[in-house]
Amino acid sequence: MAMIQGMTTYDPSGGPHSLRGRVFSMSFAGWTLVLLVSLLAGVGVAMLYSVSGGWEPYASRHATRFGFSLLVMLVLGFVPMRVWSSLAYPSYFVALALLVLVELKGATAMGATRWIDIGPVRIQPSEIMKLALVLALARYYHGLSIERVSGFFGILPPLFLVGAPAALIVKQPDLGTAVLVAATGATLIFLSGIQWRWILRGAIAGLAGVVVLFFFGLQDYQRARILTFLNPDTDQLGAGYHILQSKIAIGSGGVWGKGFNEGTQTQLNFLPEKHTDFIFTVIGEEFGFVGSVGVLGLVCAILLVGIYIALSSKAHFGRLAALGVCATFAFYVVINTAMVMGLVPVVGVPLPLVSYGGTAMMAVMAGFGLLLNVHIHREDELPSAGRLL
Amino acid sequence: MRRPDSADGARIAILAGVFAVAFAGLTLRAGQVALSGADEFRAVAGEAAPALGRRGDIVDRNGEILASTLSTYSLFADPKLVWNAEETAAALRAALPDLDVAETARKLASNKRFVWIRRGLGPRQRQAVFDMGLPGLDFREEPRRIYPRGRLAAHALGFTTIDGVGAAGAEKAYDAELSAGDGRPLALSIDLRVQYAVDEELRAGLEEFNAKAAVALVTDVDTGEVLALVSLPDFDPNLPAESSPDGRLNRALASVYELGSIFKTFTLAMAIDTGAADPARILPTDQPVIAGDVVIAEHAPAPRRLSVGEVFVRSSNPGAAYLALEAGGAVQRDYLQRFGLMERAPSPFAESARPILPQTWDEIAVATVAYGHGVAVSPLAFAGAFGAVVNGGEYVRPTLRPVGPRGALADRVIESGTSHVMNGLLRAVVLEGTGGRADVPGLAVGGKTGTAEKAVAGGYAPDRVAASFAAVFPADAPRYAVFVVLDEPQGADDAPGRRGAGHTAAPVAGRVIARIAPLLGVARRDETTAAAFGARGG
Repeated sequence: MAMIQGMTTYDPSGGPHSLRGRVFSMSFAGWTLVLLVSLLAGVGVAMLYSVSGGWEPYASRHATRFGFSLLVMLVLGFVPMRVWSSLAYPSYFVALALLVLVELKGATAMGATRWIDIGPVRIQPSEIMKLALVLALARYYHGLSIERVSGFFGILPPLFLVGAPAALIVKQPDLGTAVLVAATGATLIFLSGIQWRWILRGAIAGLAGVVVLFFFGLQDYQRARILTFLNPDTDQLGAGYHILQSKIAIGSGGVWGKGFNEGTQTQLNFLPEKHTDFIFTVIGEEFGFVGSVGVLGLVCAILLVGIYIALSSKAHFGRLAALGVCATFAFYVVINTAMVMGLVPVVGVPLPLVSYGGTAMMAVMAGFGLLLNVHIHREDELPSAGRLL
Repeated sequence: MRRPDSADGARIAILAGVFAVAFAGLTLRAGQVALSGADEFRAVAGEAAPALGRRGDIVDRNGEILASTLSTYSLFADPKLVWNAEETAAALRAALPDLDVAETARKLASNKRFVWIRRGLGPRQRQAVFDMGLPGLDFREEPRRIYPRGRLAAHALGFTTIDGVGAAGAEKAYDAELSAGDGRPLALSIDLRVQYAVDEELRAGLEEFNAKAAVALVTDVDTGEVLALVSLPDFDPNLPAESSPDGRLNRALASVYELGSIFKTFTLAMAIDTGAADPARILPTDQPVIAGDVVIAEHAPAPRRLSVGEVFVRSSNPGAAYLALEAGGAVQRDYLQRFGLMERAPSPFAESARPILPQTWDEIAVATVAYGHGVAVSPLAFAGAFGAVVNGGEYVRPTLRPVGPRGALADRVIESGTSHVMNGLLRAVVLEGTGGRADVPGLAVGGKTGTAEKAVAGGYAPDRVAASFAAVFPADAPRYAVFVVLDEPQGADDAPGRRGAGHTAAPVAGRVIARIAPLLGVARRDETTAAAFGARGG
């Protein structure tokens, strides 16, 4: 608490709106963010190098993608914040429309319909939605007075904004992403200053919803995953295989790990999906407990910088958007690592910037671009709703 | 500011607190898994290697090794520990001359922790590589089934899968015994010396008469033991994956042949055994035999009446049909049943094939089966039946395992007197009939030819025959039977078109007998004794 409040005292020497001024206004926190994000991606490159025993096929492409995404992050950071806020609703509804489109005519891969092909590009609308939802909610609460936040008509729109995409994503089916979207939405509603009585009601309703969802809304495999998670030993070769192999690999790493490229469990292909969702296992095996804590520490550092940026933003939109990005990132990491270590059921959530995968990398880096944008434009006042569009 | 900062700050603090707790929990969990998981890992690793006993050897009846399991050594490398990939690869070439140096160097320079260099090294190669003392190289011991005699007796032995599970032949039939892991060898009834001689002669015969395939079986007629089993084309059981399905086909067990006139052996045995015919009885073979709507007539230009003995020696189709029709289908089936020809040869070998029998046992079937058409049996099943004709009249099941001192279980099929008469007739076929080329001076070979046109769509093909010869020696005191089938012989190069068994299968059988008789301790005797026996029977 004290530390966080301490960080609210920032240097208020905001620069002018020229590009040069913006570059200068990207002070310590901004560069720290870029450095930490690059470090985390570097961990990803190193682990992918270890997994495949060389630069090909994963490590080099991961590095290339990160380089490109970093460029995108900087560009998104320097554009006026007004661009972000004015794009909030349009991007949200485009993403929602794409989700509906996926439902109607999406490409199916591995039994799940999550992509749509647009010419040569294959996009995953749920990835766009993660950021679009943050923007839309931040935009919504930016124009709402604190009195109306807890009013009945103040609550309905955000419930729709969160509920509609979450329901569509559950139906794809992609339980992991749906949970992420719902959690991010709930976090932003919580941060909007909504009254505690609504939070309590929401929690009860959410709990009931989870129970109903489990028994009526899930695919059989999703239910099986959850049941397997509760007792993985019942299915050592089936759905429980991932969790057990993953725990064995991390466990065999011990405190200091076996060393870079030395992980026998991961090197000898005991573990499937080790380059995507289960990359944390490789870290645990090769760098041990120290490595795992190092990566978690890196993530916490990024989150601290993010919260610092949020607190230093004068615009309510910027503050909420920054916190939304942080929350999404945190949920990613928590769910992924908890899954790999057998604390939550296996859901398809990657470890951001470390797991191999292009769309997820781009989505995460666009989010960090928004965070950087909030930092660079921390002194900007955004006009409220009426004058924005 | 439109709202008090404190509200925001408090909510953000709560959020930060929640994440702090979550990450603290994750850290604790990471520590827990890292510390306790090591035991779990060791436990799993310990279960990985189940103890497996060595697969038993297979030996012949004299204890000669036919199949064994060797420890081979598979060379692998941990590239991390290799000092210099190029030098190591070049050095390895000295021990493994056909090694691809560039490819190996590339493997050794990779970032993996485990690469195979070469599987299945012999002890000498292993030692050579070991002596180089190159860092980063190591061996994994892998059992490998080897057949030191190569193709010899390949079909009797069969082969195993890469995991050492019997896949064919004795390896499959006796897999349970072989994999018991008690180290005791499994003996087959095969006599390696006999097998070698038969293999060589059959191979030569196949080539000489331009046959497509060939089978030879040598059996002990008293015990049913198979002393030699050759099926051509064959395969190398050391390299089963490189063999063709045609080569792997065990024609002695898995194929069925329409054998033609050889089947008259059983028709005559039946007719004599029922008392319907003694060899001197004259049959009306100048008249065609009419069975249903089929007329069976003599090929010869001037058909004449033949004695029962002459029907056999001259191989008369109408004569055999007459005898079978006289006995009737029920009696015929009863005898064929007891000769073991109505079902698959009783063998633990999975390859043993079912016979093909007439759909309906009407008059036509009775008449044609009498001279070996409309019925197809495996050579092993035939060998069992033929043994019962010549050994005194008792059926013993043909087997590839040595029969103990208590002897084989025997079921009487025909009277010993009938068997004695049959031996005389078989000897007469060689002395006076179609089997002359099978004779071996002093060994009193008896036998019967069979030349069956192969059934093709719409009838029989005269240029595609199965030529067979069943022989017994010595015919006056039968010990061993030799059965040879040449599949689609085209005749010798200097006598094309002479496909008949008398010109093809019979001489091969004769050469086989000449080679194996000394090995089996059958002495040659005075010519006149043997000749007199045959003349009396005829």
